[in-house]
Amino acid sequence: MISLKPRSILLISAIFRVGLILFGEWQDTHVEVRYTDVDYLVFSDAASLMASGQSPYKRTTYRYSPLLAFLLIPNSFTSRCWGKFLFSASDLFVGLFIRIILKQRKVPDDLCTYSMLIWLFNPFTFTIGTRGNCEPIVCAMILWIIICLNNGNVVQAAFWYGLIVHFRIYPIIYALPIIIFLDPCFFRSGTKPLLSDWTSDQGKARQINSELTDKCVVSDALKSTFTRSRILFGLISGTVFLLCTGFFFRLYGWEFLHEALLYHLTRTDPRHNFSIYFYHIYLNYERELSVLEKLISFLPQFIVQLVLILCFAKDLVFCFFVQTVAFVAFNKVITAQYFVWFFCLLPLILPWSNMKLKWKGLCCILLWMGAQTHWLLWGYLLEFKGKNVFLQLWMASLLFLAANTFILIVLIRHHNYGPVFRQHTDLKTTKTT
Amino acid sequence: MKSYFENYESLHDSSFEDFMAHQLSSSLCQGIPDNWNVGVRLSVRELSLIGEGSHRHLSSSIRLQIGAASIPKLPAHLCEVIVIQRLPLGVFADPFELQNPHKHKAFRDIAVFGDTNLELPSFQSNRSAVEFHIDAGSNILFMQNNGTEFNLLLPLHARYQPLDESGYSVVEIGEPDMLMRCSVEGKQHKQSCLFMSPPNEKAKSTSATVAWKIPAGMKAHAGFVSVITFVTALLSTLSIVYASMFWSGTKVSKT
Repeated sequence: MISLKPRSILLISAIFRVGLILFGEWQDTHVEVRYTDVDYLVFSDAASLMASGQSPYKRTTYRYSPLLAFLLIPNSFTSRCWGKFLFSASDLFVGLFIRIILKQRKVPDDLCTYSMLIWLFNPFTFTIGTRGNCEPIVCAMILWIIICLNNGNVVQAAFWYGLIVHFRIYPIIYALPIIIFLDPCFFRSGTKPLLSDWTSDQGKARQINSELTDKCVVSDALKSTFTRSRILFGLISGTVFLLCTGFFFRLYGWEFLHEALLYHLTRTDPRHNFSIYFYHIYLNYERELSVLEKLISFLPQFIVQLVLILCFAKDLVFCFFVQTVAFVAFNKVITAQYFVWFFCLLPLILPWSNMKLKWKGLCCILLWMGAQTHWLLWGYLLEFKGKNVFLQLWMASLLFLAANTFILIVLIRHHNYGPVFRQHTDLKTTKTT
Repeated sequence: MKSYFENYESLHDSSFEDFMAHQLSSSLCQGIPDNWNVGVRLSVRELSLIGEGSHRHLSSSIRLQIGAASIPKLPAHLCEVIVIQRLPLGVFADPFELQNPHKHKAFRDIAVFGDTNLELPSFQSNRSAVEFHIDAGSNILFMQNNGTEFNLLLPLHARYQPLDESGYSVVEIGEPDMLMRCSVEGKQHKQSCLFMSPPNEKAKSTSATVAWKIPAGMKAHAGFVSVITFVTALLSTLSIVYASMFWSGTKVSKT
């Protein structure tokens, strides 16, 4: 059993990240292969442009909100590592928020510690921030939204949600599950919702806590669709999103709208990436795809998202996790940074899984890494050796989708599903936290 | 090149050659005989492609020779060699990569002109050119020079090529265009002169082009790749839907 205190874990993680950032600076100066992500150079250039009063979109391939460039303005007049420190700090916040969310559900200390370690010492995640990728900011905001919702703080959750959708678009997939989650059976005016606590049985045989959901009568569904919480959440998040978008549109015009928003909604990239669609897109890039073809490629994503939401929305964190895995797996373009989107949610669902690390968990990890490594090998031959291995690379992407699907199904199979909240009327003697 | 793209939309060899001929004819220096141009010889000693895959370096070795006849009455002057590497459709140079001060400190200036989009495939792109300015020194026209060599290493990246039955597309990169520009202190004002090696000098260089073989998609794959892609997506979808409905809380009995 690990006896490290959370404060010590965070301190060691912080020191480690500072060391990596400094090492990265050394590597960039002395070694041919750079440590710093090429995206960080894009952000920094955009921030310099913004600092000098120009549009950040003068920097080719800057496809983010101007907020990001604004956050990195200090790169120009303090240290060029400012952004990396900011992203790594967000990374540490993710670790802290993981602990807070699990403690909200009364998960024991040792499981909380393991969950923190899974994020803070995952080689993939600690390199992301230190290399200058901005995804830790997104992850931190998503987890903060979960904390707010667990505390019944709908207004704050809505504010951050509107902001994060403006910042990164993909969290729009969480809109419907959040609305379903704001169930009037649990969210009542003036009363903090009651969280259902983790119990030691979670780690054993699979159980379903469906009895608590039966008491919310289906016939009240229509009446309770437009509740105060739901309307408030929708209005506030929508307003924040529109205000941010409107403000930056006023400043930077159509270039902002196209680069920061529309590009992501319509993006198809013929260049090789993990997606199963890349070769199909490349082979058909010279002709315009028909509406039917576009619809067929969008349909699997749409159906999977809808079914996952309808099945798991009440268990919000698990819903977020499975939605994100599926969203990434079925997307038309997949780059490695997208994996962080569900890595930050994985530590939050593991205490409710009865899958053991030995050997099922380990097999899933090896399968996922193996499928990725297999793809990377073919990608290396194509990009760095100039071999025509498009067909093999495409088949590797099919295998990667198969691996993701299999692991997702295994996680669903082993998850102890249960609503996050319990009803007030059945537990009058239970103290609220 | 900036002037070229102010007058033309895209880079074509014939337009570029006409443009250069016009530039040269309008940039002769006063006080220098017209036939003195033969005194300056710029040639490519070696042109090669280094590396493998989609990211390589174009290595050029440029030699500058000043002829035997000097011009003693010429005032003080400062010269630079300008090298223009025209790139074919299938490859591009990253302008941000070329700004790296550590790698390119030997050059006075480097810039990319034309289509600088880093992401589009070649069949949706236009050509580009890279212009180097290298300091050749001061008052070099006074003295005979048997040969000063400049080595250029230009990082290049392959674009996605049009589909090809063979599975590869061959892109050829030719020699760069080279000229020398000298700023001469005139009696009343400074003037800028351009010198370029006569056309017959170019024929003496050792290698005309380098070939880069880039992988390309094959049209024969289009049919079955699309079908299998969608079938795989469908199977994955059905598996996830089934698992979700079977193992979510909605249908399993209470404990």
